[in-house]
Amino acid sequence: MKILIFGAGNLLLSDEGFGVHAIRYLEQHYRLPEDVELFDAGTLGLMATHKIEESDRVYLLDVVAAEGEPGTVLRYAKADFMLNRVPLKLSPHQAGVQEMLLISELRGRCPRDIFLLGVIPATTEPGETLSPVLQKRLPEIAETLVNELRASAGLSIASR
Amino acid sequence: MATRTITLDPVTRIEGHLRIDAEVSNGQVSKAWSSAQMWRGLEIILRGKEPQDAWILAQRICGVCTTVHAIASIRSVEHALKVKLPLNAQFIRNIIMAQHSVQDHIVHFYHLSAMDWIDVLSALKADPKKTAALAQSLSDWPGNSETEFKAVQDKLTRFAASGKLGIFASGYWGHSAMKLPPEVNLMAVAHYLSALDYQRKAAQIVAVLGGKNPHIQNLVVGGVATAINVDNLATLNMERLSLIRTLMEETRDFVKKVYYPDVLAIAEAYKEWFKYGAGVTSYLAVPELPIDEDSKGFTLPGGIITKGDLANFRPVRTQADEYLINNIQESVAHAWFDGTAPLQPWKGETAPNYTDFKPDGKYSWCKAPRLAGQPVQVGPLAQILVGYAAGNGWVKPLVNEANAKLSIGIADYHSTMGRILTRGMRACIMADLSLEQLDKLISNIASGDQTYANPTEIPNGEFQGVGFHEAARGSLSHWMVFKNKKITNYQAVVPSTWNASPRDEQGAMGPYEASLVGTPVADPEKPLELLRTVHSFDPCIACAVHAVDPAGKEITTVKVL
Repeated sequence: MKILIFGAGNLLLSDEGFGVHAIRYLEQHYRLPEDVELFDAGTLGLMATHKIEESDRVYLLDVVAAEGEPGTVLRYAKADFMLNRVPLKLSPHQAGVQEMLLISELRGRCPRDIFLLGVIPATTEPGETLSPVLQKRLPEIAETLVNELRASAGLSIASR
Repeated sequence: MATRTITLDPVTRIEGHLRIDAEVSNGQVSKAWSSAQMWRGLEIILRGKEPQDAWILAQRICGVCTTVHAIASIRSVEHALKVKLPLNAQFIRNIIMAQHSVQDHIVHFYHLSAMDWIDVLSALKADPKKTAALAQSLSDWPGNSETEFKAVQDKLTRFAASGKLGIFASGYWGHSAMKLPPEVNLMAVAHYLSALDYQRKAAQIVAVLGGKNPHIQNLVVGGVATAINVDNLATLNMERLSLIRTLMEETRDFVKKVYYPDVLAIAEAYKEWFKYGAGVTSYLAVPELPIDEDSKGFTLPGGIITKGDLANFRPVRTQADEYLINNIQESVAHAWFDGTAPLQPWKGETAPNYTDFKPDGKYSWCKAPRLAGQPVQVGPLAQILVGYAAGNGWVKPLVNEANAKLSIGIADYHSTMGRILTRGMRACIMADLSLEQLDKLISNIASGDQTYANPTEIPNGEFQGVGFHEAARGSLSHWMVFKNKKITNYQAVVPSTWNASPRDEQGAMGPYEASLVGTPVADPEKPLELLRTVHSFDPCIACAVHAVDPAGKEITTVKVL
C-alpha cells in the first residue's frame, strides 16, 4: 500500500507553513519505509492532484480554519471535509486542497482513504518559522501520525 | 438603467487574494478597481539573508509559480556579480522554464479560464458520436473517441443525478452569455478532465532536471547543480534524458492537438470577445531563453510596445537592458504602503500601512509598477505581440495561421480573447522549444562540454542586481541589493503586480482595471463577463494562503494587517 504524507502550506507565512515544517521534521526524525512518501506540496493546489491519485492512502497535514486553541489538532476523514461545490475563483492559487480532491473525485481517481490532520494556527503573519505554540506541538503531532501508521498499516518505523 | 457597483470579492469565499470592484451603468462597466487583498512578506523576510540562498525562499512566494521566482532570484545575483553561465546550465534552466510554462498554461486554461466559456450542463445534452466527429475534425488526438466522450458524459450524468454536479454551481451555467453548442461543451469537459494528466508529465520533467517538483533544488549562482553523465546510473543519464523526451513529446501533443484546438474553437464561437477587454495597450516583454554564455542572444525577443503601435516597438535586447532597468518604478499612491514618490525597486521600500478600501484613496496591497511613468500590460499577449513585431520565427507563423483561420487581424489581439489565444500560442511554442533545447543540451554534452556551473563566491562590498524572467504570466523581476554578503534590500516586481496594479499618482488605471471599462454586463447578479476578462490575464496574486475549512463553507482566515 502506497501511503502519502502530504504537507501543504506557505513557508513564508509562519504557521501557514505547518504542513511543510511537519514534512521536514518527519524527514529528520524518522526512518520511514519505502512505501511511505513525504511530499512537500507547498501551495501547489491543483498541480499536486497526481500525487494524491497515485496513492492508496493519504494523510494531509495542513492548518485548518476552525475555532479553538492554537495548536489543537483536528482529525477528519474524507467525508468530513469534502466540499460540495467549487467556489468562485479569480486565481488558480485559490484552488486549494479541497478543490483538488473534488476534481479528482470527478475524474474517478480520488483514493477512499484520505485523512486530514489539521492544526489550528496561532499566527499567519509573514515569517519563516512556526509560532512557539506550534513549534512545541510539532514533535507530538509527528509522533501521533507515526503511531497511527504503525498501528493501522502495521509499519515498523524507527526514530532517527 | 441606474448605476450599480459589483464587488467580486473572493475574500468572502475562499483564500481571497484579489478583489475586483466594478461600477456598471447602462449595461456596461464604467469604472473598475483591482485590489490585492494579501500582503506578501517576502521582502522583509529576505533582509539579512545571504544572497546566494534567496532563491530557495523566493520560490515559496507562490505555489504555482515556484521555479520562476527561483530563476529570477538567482539571476539577480548573477547580474550583480556579472557571472556568465555555461551552456549546459542555460539549456537546463531553459527546459525547466519552458516546461513550467507548459504546465502552467494547461492548468490555467482548463481549470480557471475555460469554465467561463463552457457550459457543463449543456454537455449532458450532447451527442457523443457527433462530439467525436467534431473533435476528430480538429485533430487526430487518440482520446477524441466516441467511447471516451460517452464515458465522460455518463460520469457527468451520474454526478448530476446524485446532486453532486452542484460542485460547479459557481460556474454561471445557463447564462445568456454562454453559447457553445452541446458537443463543443462535452469535448471541452472531457479535455478538462484529462488535462491534469499532462500537467503532471510536465511536472515530472521539472522534477527530473530540478531535483524535485514543485520546489527545484538544483540552482547555484553561476549555473546548475544537476549532474549529467550519459553513462553513469547515479546521475542524469541517457535513460533519464530519453524519459524526459518522451514526456515532452506527450505534453507537446496534448498542447497542440487538444489545448490549442480548444482555444481556437472557443475563439471562433466567441469572436465578439476580440472587441472587449483591451485596456492598457502598452506592453512589456523581456527576452527569454538565452542561447549563449554571456546571455546576449535569446530565442524569444523582448521589447516595449507603446499604445498598440507595433511598428515602432522598442527592442529590449538583453536582460541587462539599461533603459528598462532605469525606467521601472513603483508607486504607492493607491497602495497600502507608506511612501511618497515612485521608487526604483533597488531603492524600494516595504512599509505596510493598511487603511481600509478607499476607491479614491488607498485600496490595494499591490504597488503600481510603471515603465517610464506609464502602465504596461505583461503576459503571453505582450510576448507574442513583441515577437510578431520583431518577426520572430517561432511566433510569426502561429499568428499568421490563427489570423487566417479566425479571420482576424493583429489589432484584434488587444482584447480578452487575444490574451487567451496568445497564451495557447505560447504553450505551443514552449512545448516545441523544450524539445529544441533538449536537443541542444544533448549535442553540447556529446561535444564534450562537462561544465554545469561557474562556481561563484559572494564577495564583500555592496552590489545590486536585477534578475528578469519572461515567465508564464509575463515579465518578472527580482531586485536585490546586498552588502558584505547580506541582503539589504529585496523587491519582487511580479507579472500580476504589473497587471493587477492599482491607479498611480496621475490616476492612470492598471491593466485589469482599464480592461474592464466598457465590458458589457448582461446580468449584474451574475457578472460572468467580468470574470472572463479578469481570468484572461491569469491572475496570480502571490502568497497563497489556503487554510482548509472543515465545514465546507466559504471562508478565509487570512488576517490582513
